[in-house]
Amino acid sequence: MDGPDVGWYLIVAAALFGIGALGVMLRRSPLIVLLSLEIMLNAANLTLIAFARQHGDLGGQIFALAVMAVAAAEVAIGLGLIVAMARRGMLLDVDQASALRG
Amino acid sequence: MVAGAWICLLSPLGGAVAITLAGTRISRTTAAYISTLTTFVAFGGALIAFFGLWAEGHGDREVVSTAYTWLESGDFRVELQILLDTLSSTMMLIVSGVGGLIVWYSMGYMRGDDEERRYFAYMSLFVFSMLMLVQAGNLLLLLVGWGLVGLASYLLIGFWHQKPEAVAAAKKAFVMNAIGDATMALALVLLIWETGTLGYFGVFDQASSMSTTTVNLVALGLLGGAVAKSAQIPLHTWLPDAMEGPTPVSALIHAATMVTAGVYLLVRAHPIFEAAPDVQHLAAILGAITLLVAGVIALVQWDIKRVIAYSTMSQIGYMFLAAGIGAYGYAIFHLMTHAFFKALLFMSAGLVIHHLGGEQDIRKMGGLHALMPKTHMAFAVGSLALMGIPIFSGFWSKDGIIAAAFAEGDALGYTLFAAGLVGALLTGLYTTRLYLTVWRGQPSSFVSEHAHEGHGEGPRSMLYPVGVLTVLATIGGLVVIPGVWEPFLHWIDESAEPLVKATVAQDYGTSALGVSLALLGFYVAWRAYRAGRQIVTRPGTWHVLEHKLFFDEAYDALFYRPAVALSTALRRNVEEPVVERSLDEIGSGALQAGGEVARIQSGLLRTYAVAISFAVVVLVVVFVAVR
Repeated sequence: MDGPDVGWYLIVAAALFGIGALGVMLRRSPLIVLLSLEIMLNAANLTLIAFARQHGDLGGQIFALAVMAVAAAEVAIGLGLIVAMARRGMLLDVDQASALRG
Repeated sequence: MVAGAWICLLSPLGGAVAITLAGTRISRTTAAYISTLTTFVAFGGALIAFFGLWAEGHGDREVVSTAYTWLESGDFRVELQILLDTLSSTMMLIVSGVGGLIVWYSMGYMRGDDEERRYFAYMSLFVFSMLMLVQAGNLLLLLVGWGLVGLASYLLIGFWHQKPEAVAAAKKAFVMNAIGDATMALALVLLIWETGTLGYFGVFDQASSMSTTTVNLVALGLLGGAVAKSAQIPLHTWLPDAMEGPTPVSALIHAATMVTAGVYLLVRAHPIFEAAPDVQHLAAILGAITLLVAGVIALVQWDIKRVIAYSTMSQIGYMFLAAGIGAYGYAIFHLMTHAFFKALLFMSAGLVIHHLGGEQDIRKMGGLHALMPKTHMAFAVGSLALMGIPIFSGFWSKDGIIAAAFAEGDALGYTLFAAGLVGALLTGLYTTRLYLTVWRGQPSSFVSEHAHEGHGEGPRSMLYPVGVLTVLATIGGLVVIPGVWEPFLHWIDESAEPLVKATVAQDYGTSALGVSLALLGFYVAWRAYRAGRQIVTRPGTWHVLEHKLFFDEAYDALFYRPAVALSTALRRNVEEPVVERSLDEIGSGALQAGGEVARIQSGLLRTYAVAISFAVVVLVVVFVAVR
């Protein structure tokens, strides 16, 4: 088997996931939050592919493709929401969109 | 033969359904015709069944016809079936025949009433219910008919629902009957428990092998139902109040349906009662008490229908007495003759009420015999039959019962015999009082004011049935002449073998005594009438009797008022402070808790994300640690 050990891939994936999670938790712009979400999804993809290679099983790769499709759909809806917010002249700040407060 | 029985059962039901479904699309008269016709079709079916049974040989006169299995649960099954034997075919003839005449009579009586269609639908339902009761092939179907009869009587007693008294009377009848229905249902449950069946034959075969306690309880439960339905003491208070309904309904309840159901049950379930002789004697004793008490109360009533109602209670008391000592043939025989003359009395009383514009108080009547000669004739025949004057139908049946009590012997038998004779005297007294007050003397001012000359006595649809019944009440008793000709008794004996049989000498001796006592009653009442005084003269006694021995008041004090007091106390001490307040507390508590929890929901997306991440971390740590 070529390339580095699977552990390295996992470290990179963990780093990406952490960056994405921090982005979701700390940034206020919905656009960046969405971006960070994508990073988290891709971190998950990376682990899937890494394990797929280690086990020599294409299932993981196929699953990664499915995750991409979901991500694409999510971006389409998320961006649509953000555009709608912008059109209504709302502030692009997730902390301001708190009308569902109890 | 069996087809006739099914026609008999289903025809009135068809009539009731047809009138109900047709609603206002048919005229009132059409509804009346449908009802009358279907009841007479039922009578035709009953005749077919009767003659079919007649043609069968002695001992084969018992047919069970099953339509389908109605309930099935493990070994227990109940079928929709009818039993056709000599007893049920006799009852079918009485119910559909007398019932048909009464429905026919109703055509004239109810003409012009706002809700004639509803009335006739109920009448058909009533006849159907009673036929269901007598034709049922097992005890559960009998209970179905039993309940339906209660329902139909409730609907008809309260037919004039704009009258508060009628509604109250209907409710009273229903509640009183519900008590009986409940004890009967309990008896049936006990029977299912013990024998695993409700078929007549299955139950009756095992009646003698059940433990004494069980069979006594079952018999008591059935007796409770019979007492309530037949208005015997102590569940009798609904019957006089039931007079609030239209007069033909009173006739139907008293003659053809309803009150005779209890007697039918006692005879039908005789193997059970014979296995519990104490309960059977209790039935006879209750009957004797009722016949005396009702006879005495009848002496002071002023409402023409109430006097007749109390006489019904008294006559049903005779039937209970007969069934209680095992003279089943005479019980059913008296049931039949009573159906004739009581329907006749009610219907001629109805003609009088109709004629006088709805007046029922006999104090305002008097001297009607010249104005209504035909009705007078009919009423006189009914009275003679009721008093048991020879050749009229009541003579043959009532004296037979009293003689059977004598033949029973021992202390109980002689007591019942004495009660029966005193009852004959009372019957003579109250019947004569009623007859003389209504018909004799000079027309009172009220009568001359209300009676319209040349108007006839009533429509033909009312007079013809009365005519038929007059004939029946006169000669209907000639099917039993002791010692000479007793086909009716032999016929019933095939279904229920009697326990006692009076000898011919006892029979005629009793008859002589009974008739002389009835004549004595007649004489005393006539003397009192001539002297212009009442039969009961002591004001104290009068007061007690006028309040019907305070049964209503006693039940009020015993059951109604304690129940109301208990309910009020419960409302004040439990419902309001405990239930209501705790519900309030629960509500406000939930509201408060919700308010507290709602604060967590900040609406801040990033807080949620942190919470989720934190939770995931915790879960992972726990997961790893547990592994």
